Amino acid sequence: MRRVAYYKGCLASLSAKELDSSTKALAPRVGLELVELESVTCCGAGDIHEAEPDYALHLNARIISYAAATGADTLMTVCNVCTLNLRQANFQLIGDPDLRARVNANLMAVGVPPYESDVEVRHLLWELAEGNGYERLKLAAHKGLKGLRIAPFYGCQILRPSRVLGFEDPDRPSSLERIIEACGGEAVDYPAKLKCCGFPIIQAREETALGELVQPIEQASDAGADAIVTPCPLCHLSLDAWQSKLRATTGRDFALPILHLSQLIGVAAGLGEAELKFKRHVVSVSPVLAKLDP
Amino acid sequence: MRVALKIWRADAASGERELRAYEVDAPEWVTLLDVLDIIKDRHDGTLAYRKSCRMMICGSCGMRMDGAAVLACKTRMQAIAASGHVPVVSAMGNLPLIKDLVVDMDPFWAKYRAVNPYLKPGYTVPPAGREHRVSQERMNTIHKESLCINCGCCVSECNAMDASPEFLGPQALAKAMRFAGDPRDGAKLERLEGVNGQHGIWECTRCYFCNERCPKGVDPRDAIAKLGAESIKEGIDRDMGAKHAKWFVTSAKTTGWLRETELVPKTQGIVEAVKQVRFALGLARVGKVPPPFPPHVARDVRESRRLYDLLGEQNRRGYAGIVQGEKALARLAHGHIEGSRDPYGEGSFPRPFIAAEEGAP
Repeated sequence: MRRVAYYKGCLASLSAKELDSSTKALAPRVGLELVELESVTCCGAGDIHEAEPDYALHLNARIISYAAATGADTLMTVCNVCTLNLRQANFQLIGDPDLRARVNANLMAVGVPPYESDVEVRHLLWELAEGNGYERLKLAAHKGLKGLRIAPFYGCQILRPSRVLGFEDPDRPSSLERIIEACGGEAVDYPAKLKCCGFPIIQAREETALGELVQPIEQASDAGADAIVTPCPLCHLSLDAWQSKLRATTGRDFALPILHLSQLIGVAAGLGEAELKFKRHVVSVSPVLAKLDP
Repeated sequence: MRVALKIWRADAASGERELRAYEVDAPEWVTLLDVLDIIKDRHDGTLAYRKSCRMMICGSCGMRMDGAAVLACKTRMQAIAASGHVPVVSAMGNLPLIKDLVVDMDPFWAKYRAVNPYLKPGYTVPPAGREHRVSQERMNTIHKESLCINCGCCVSECNAMDASPEFLGPQALAKAMRFAGDPRDGAKLERLEGVNGQHGIWECTRCYFCNERCPKGVDPRDAIAKLGAESIKEGIDRDMGAKHAKWFVTSAKTTGWLRETELVPKTQGIVEAVKQVRFALGLARVGKVPPPFPPHVARDVRESRRLYDLLGEQNRRGYAGIVQGEKALARLAHGHIEGSRDPYGEGSFPRPFIAAEEGAP
């Protein structure tokens, strides 16, 4: 078993509890032992970075420090936005000893252990798309997906900026496709799979955000996808919950199920509703499940 | 070596467009721009594209290769030709097409002019015979933004502009930061007000395509975040985007986790939030609207509150909080991904999607 510190972030604690439960159920089957971090806060979601960036750096440093204190060498995330914010802070701290000294002094002043031994921030997707994780995944996904047509949707902040994320080529990523095919599904290709879902501005600029959201939904539907899978709970929320709002601009009633990465693999691994919690989705996942168990 | 490529030939006046294949003999050192020159000189004089300096400083030859904006004069062809890949070249996105690889830059320059891209001196004139001196440290604030060559590669790929053409966009906003952060400028507040409009900084969707594509390392998205942080520091926070961002700060120091259910009324105001009630009920039905009481409080949240208070005394609010991290981030090489697969190499998986081959240029 590979022991990693697990940071679930805000959404998996609140509106996307299904992401947390499916990740925890899946982890032992793919060889991951999750050490859940308790004394941690929101990463700031890019919003605190744009309001109080020094505070955002310290909040992320605090999370990373508690992860390092577990003794694990990896801080595992299940959200693109958490991944970018934590990696960005981590690179700043590792790359600039003066900045790290200042941040550590502040952390210690409020009772947080200083960030000493380096940890790496990695997303669940990266753990499972290569190496041992990928081999374990292939064994775990014994039930398969019976050739379901799955459209991968990466979400921006697991690809760009690539010098901070850097797991794979940001223009020709393949990790989600590898996983879909390893689970026995067929990966559907479409241009908007690398674009933005609109979520960061869905409240402040809804019209613009929906103009972005419509692209993956429309293209994946037209390409005959049975469902979209995404590694990001924010993309999941906009693709799933805001999908019905596209009727006003397109006149179409889309009913495209949206799966979290952990749910897609979970289905292929034979996990049940108790862990996957599809009832918590706005767009019904029943058509997908019906194809698997007619 | 033989270099093969396909070019989307198009003419806005007639509406005709055609993907035409070319193959030329070229020395191994050629760039994409050199190949276009060879095509135009020896094979097809009707090909239209812009160029001037040939050395990555004039910003004229922005175009797309395989759907991604590049400077043609910065793009070496040897590895691509050797792999057998035939790239597709097309005009930049988000700007009106004129002919072949030439787009109309007027909308780009209109947004550029809208941010008043020139110094409005705000310093006191030093005593006779002395020059006005600025420390390197203060100029570091706008070092990256000063590198912009106005090529339009960021604008070409901007997802927010794709959905909302009026968005000021990454180039104009990075330019706004270049002057708002200049210690010699006297119009910072006026500039911050200017980028806080309907189509200003808070319309940025954080897709990070601008940072990814910029051939000069300007990182426009980071410039936009600097403008946001500085606006909030100066009390310019009436935009819904600013209120949204501030609610995350409040959440982090009170409960630690985002107070999700209160985010909509805190961002949009009660009146707008009430209009969303039907939509919210749909989400609540499946458990997507967690009840605000009792609040979901992180363990040891007192630490994050004390951190906030402590930092308030350390003078790093506003863009200073972002600038302090740029030195370390700059060490991460641009465009280099350790251990990544050669995108044109054998066994490259899966089929790369080349947008320009099937879609509109």
